[in-house]
Amino acid sequence: MLLFVGRRLFQSLFVLFGLSLLIFFIARVMPGDPARAALGFLATEEQVERLREEMHLNDPFPVQYYHWLRGLVHGDLGTSSYTRRPVTADLIQYLPATFELILFATLISAIVGQVTGLLAGYFRNSWFDGLSRLISYLGIATPSFAVAIFLLFIFSQVLDLAPGVGRLPIMMTPPPRITGFMTIDGLLAGRADIALTALKHMVLPAISLAVIHIAQEGRITRTAIVENMQKDYITLHRVHGIRTSKVVFKYLLKPSIIPTVTVMGLDFAFLMSNAFLVEMVYMWPGFSRYAVTAMLNKDLNAIVAVVLVIGLTFALVNLLVDIIIMGLDPTVRLRRGGG
Amino acid sequence: MLLAVVLAAGFAAVGEVDNVAVINGYPVITADPAAASDWYDTEAMYNLYSPLVYPDPAGGVRPHLATSWEAVGGDYTHWRFTLREGVKFHSGYEMTAEDVAFSMTRFIAMGKGNSGPLGEVTAQVVNDYAVDFLLAKPSAIFPDTLALFFVVEKDLVLENVDPNGSYGENGDYGENWLATHDAGTGPYMMTSHIPGQRLDAVRFVDYFEGWSDEGWGENEVPIERLIFIMETDYTTLMTLLRSGDLDLEINGGWTLPQLEGIDEDPTLDLTTVWAQNVTVWMNTQVPPTDDEHFRKALLYAFDYEGIVGPWEAFGNGETGILLPNMPGYVAIEPQPRQQDLQRAADELALSKYADNLNAVTAAFHFCGGLDFEEDIGLQLQADMAQLGVDVEVAGPPWPEYSAECGSAESTPNMTIFLFAPQAAPTHDYYTYSMFSPGGLGWIFEAHWYFEDQEIIDLLDATRAEADPVARLALYEQVQPLIADHALAFYPYQKPTLFAHQSYIVGPSETIVFVGPSENMHKWRINLELKEELRGS
Repeated sequence: MLLFVGRRLFQSLFVLFGLSLLIFFIARVMPGDPARAALGFLATEEQVERLREEMHLNDPFPVQYYHWLRGLVHGDLGTSSYTRRPVTADLIQYLPATFELILFATLISAIVGQVTGLLAGYFRNSWFDGLSRLISYLGIATPSFAVAIFLLFIFSQVLDLAPGVGRLPIMMTPPPRITGFMTIDGLLAGRADIALTALKHMVLPAISLAVIHIAQEGRITRTAIVENMQKDYITLHRVHGIRTSKVVFKYLLKPSIIPTVTVMGLDFAFLMSNAFLVEMVYMWPGFSRYAVTAMLNKDLNAIVAVVLVIGLTFALVNLLVDIIIMGLDPTVRLRRGGG
Repeated sequence: MLLAVVLAAGFAAVGEVDNVAVINGYPVITADPAAASDWYDTEAMYNLYSPLVYPDPAGGVRPHLATSWEAVGGDYTHWRFTLREGVKFHSGYEMTAEDVAFSMTRFIAMGKGNSGPLGEVTAQVVNDYAVDFLLAKPSAIFPDTLALFFVVEKDLVLENVDPNGSYGENGDYGENWLATHDAGTGPYMMTSHIPGQRLDAVRFVDYFEGWSDEGWGENEVPIERLIFIMETDYTTLMTLLRSGDLDLEINGGWTLPQLEGIDEDPTLDLTTVWAQNVTVWMNTQVPPTDDEHFRKALLYAFDYEGIVGPWEAFGNGETGILLPNMPGYVAIEPQPRQQDLQRAADELALSKYADNLNAVTAAFHFCGGLDFEEDIGLQLQADMAQLGVDVEVAGPPWPEYSAECGSAESTPNMTIFLFAPQAAPTHDYYTYSMFSPGGLGWIFEAHWYFEDQEIIDLLDATRAEADPVARLALYEQVQPLIADHALAFYPYQKPTLFAHQSYIVGPSETIVFVGPSENMHKWRINLELKEELRGS
C-alpha cells in the first residue's frame, strides 16, 4: 500500500510540474498588462515599467519561470498583483472557506445521492424510481447558480427560514482563526452558537452545489445496483435465505458504490474551481471567487497558484479515491499490489 | 431532510438597532495611502486618513491638515505649507511637519498609488508646523494635486517596517503592515481589515474637525461603527438592502428595475453624489476614424435622447469634456443634444470615405460585461446603419480591452470608458490628462490626437496658472477647441447613486470627486428612525 501511495505521489509531482509549465506560459500570453493592473489607472508609464522590471516581466520566459520555481521551492508563490499580498496568504485565507463548503456539499450529495440511487435501483420501475429519474434529470439540467438564486429567494427572502449570505451574519464577530473552518473554529473557541450559525449559513450554498451531483450520483448508483442485482452471487445469497438487509448492505451496496466513489472524487475537485457563481450569489469569501478575480485582473502569480492548487486537489483526491476503492474491492487491491 | 433539520433551529437576528453602518463599497485591497489607487481604496482613505488639502465643492481645494500654502520664489518649484496645530493621530500623538515630510518622501519613493501626477518632489521640514516641497518641474496646480496625499504617523510606520522590502534601506517602508493597519488622523480608526473582503472601523472621537451637530437634525448622530463589505452581485445586495442588513451602497451599479424598486420603497433613499463621464474615444490614427468628417458623422448620427430614455429619471443626461456640475463647463457639439442624421450624412459626404461607404467598417469596443456600454454600441450601430455604414460592436474582457489601447495602431476605432472624477485636480484630469501629450496616455487618451499646438499650449498654460479664476477661464477657452476635432462623443453623464436606508443621512456636502462623498464624517444616523423601521 505504502509503495503504491509513494509511487502515485511521485507521479503527481511530474503532473504538477507539467501543469505549472503550461499554465505559466498560458498566463503570460494572455492579453493584458499585469504591472498596469497592479498599479492602477493613474500610474505613470515610468512606474509601470519599474514594476515590470521588478516582476521580471521583461525577462525571457525561461528566466521568469526559473524565478518563480526558485520561489516555489522556498514556499513562496510570489505576490498577488491584485491583493498585493503573498499568494500563499491569499490561499490560506480563501481555501478553507471553499473546502468547508464543498466538503459539506459532497457529504450531502453522497448521502442523498446514494440513498436515492439504492432505493431507485432496488425498487426498479416503481413510482419512486420514476420520480427520482425525473428529479435527477431536472437536477442535471439546472445550473447551480439558478438553483442558488431559487433557494435564496424561497428559503431566505420569502420564507425567512435560512440566512442568505456570507459565512456568518455581518454583525457577528468570527471566532479566532485556527483552521479557517468556521464551524470547527467556533467549536474550538467554545462557541457552539457560532458553529451552528456557520452551519446554517452553509446549508443553502451547499445544497445549491450538491443538487447536480446528487442527481448524477443517484443515477450512477441506481445503474450499478440494477446491474449487480442481476448477478449470480446475489441470486445465490437470496436462494440461501440470507436476510434482505444483509444482502443489500453487505453484498449489493459495497460493489455498487465503487463507480459513485470515483465520480464523487472528481466532483469534489471539480467544485473547487466551479463554485464561483454560487459563491457570488451567497457572498461566500472563497477560493473560486478568488480564482476568477485573479483571471479577470491578470494576476499572474495567483493564476498559476490557483491552477496548481486545483491540480494538486485532483491528484490527492484521486489518490484517496483509489485507496478507498482498494478497501472496497479486493480485486483492485490485489492487482495494485496493495496486499 | 438535512435542510429541514438545520433550518428547524431557526435563524436569530442580531443587533438590529446598534449605531452601526454596514456599507458596500469597492474592494479595498490595501489601506496604505501610498499604495492605494483609484477609487477602489479611496473610500477607505478619506475615513482613515486626512489629506493635506481637501477638495472644495466650488472646485479647487481648501485647507485641511494644511491651513495655508504659498509658492516661494515665484517659479512654482518651491511650495511652503503651514500645518494645522493640535491634529492627533489615532495613536494619540500629535502630527508635526516630520510626519508630513516623511509621508511625502515615502509616497514618492514607493512610486505607487496616486503619486504619479505629483512628479518628483523633495520634502524638507521648516519647523514643527511648516514643510517645504521642492519640485523637479514647476507646477502652479501643485496644491490641488495634494487632495490624494494622506499623512501617516512616521514613528508608528517605522516601528512596523519589514527590512526585507524592495525599497533599499527603508525595507518595505511599512507597506505590508499598513495594508491592514492604519496610522492616520481620519475620522474613523480601523479595527480590522481583510483585503478585498471587509474593513471594520470605529469613530475617532478626537478627530481634528470635531463632531459638531450644527446643520444636522435633532436625532441625527455620528455613526459609531463602520463595516465595509465589498460585494458585486446586485441581486444579493438588493436582498440585503431590503432586509435592513445593508445600510448604504456606494458603488451605484444598480440596474434600472432595481433603481425603480429602491425609489418606490419608503424605507430607502437614493442620493446622487457625483456623476461619471461616459466617453467614447475615436481613434484619429486608424481608418475610417482618421477622417475628421467621418468622426463628426458618428457624433451627429448618435441618438442621445434614445440612449438616455428611462434613465433620465435618475439623472443621466447632458455632458461634455467636463461634467455639467463642474464650474467652467462649456456645452459642446452637438447642440441641441439630439440625433441629426441629415447633418451626419453631410459630414459623411465630405469625408474621404464618401465614395465607398459600403466597404467601410468602424469597430466599437466596450469592456465585456458592462451592459450599458454595449447598449451604446448597439445604438450607434443601428444609427449608422441608416447611413449605410457598418459598425462592428465587440466586448473583449477588461485585460484584453485595456491592452488594445496600448498603442494607436492597436486601439479600435471607438472605445468607451466611464471616467469618474478620480484624480486631483478634477479639471486637470478631464482636460490636460486626457488631451495633452504629457497626459495620462493609454485609455485616458485613446483618441491619439496631439497635433493642435494651440490646444497643447493652452493646456500647458492651465498648469502654469496659479490664479484659480484665470485658470478656469483657460479651461473654458480650451473646451470648444478640443471639441472641434471630434475626438470623442459623450453619450451621457452617469450619476453615482448611493442607495441607503432612510435613517442614514448625508452627505453634508457634495463634491465632484471620488472619495469625499464616502467620508462618513459627512454622514449621520437617525437611531430613532432606525428603531422604528428596523427594530424588532
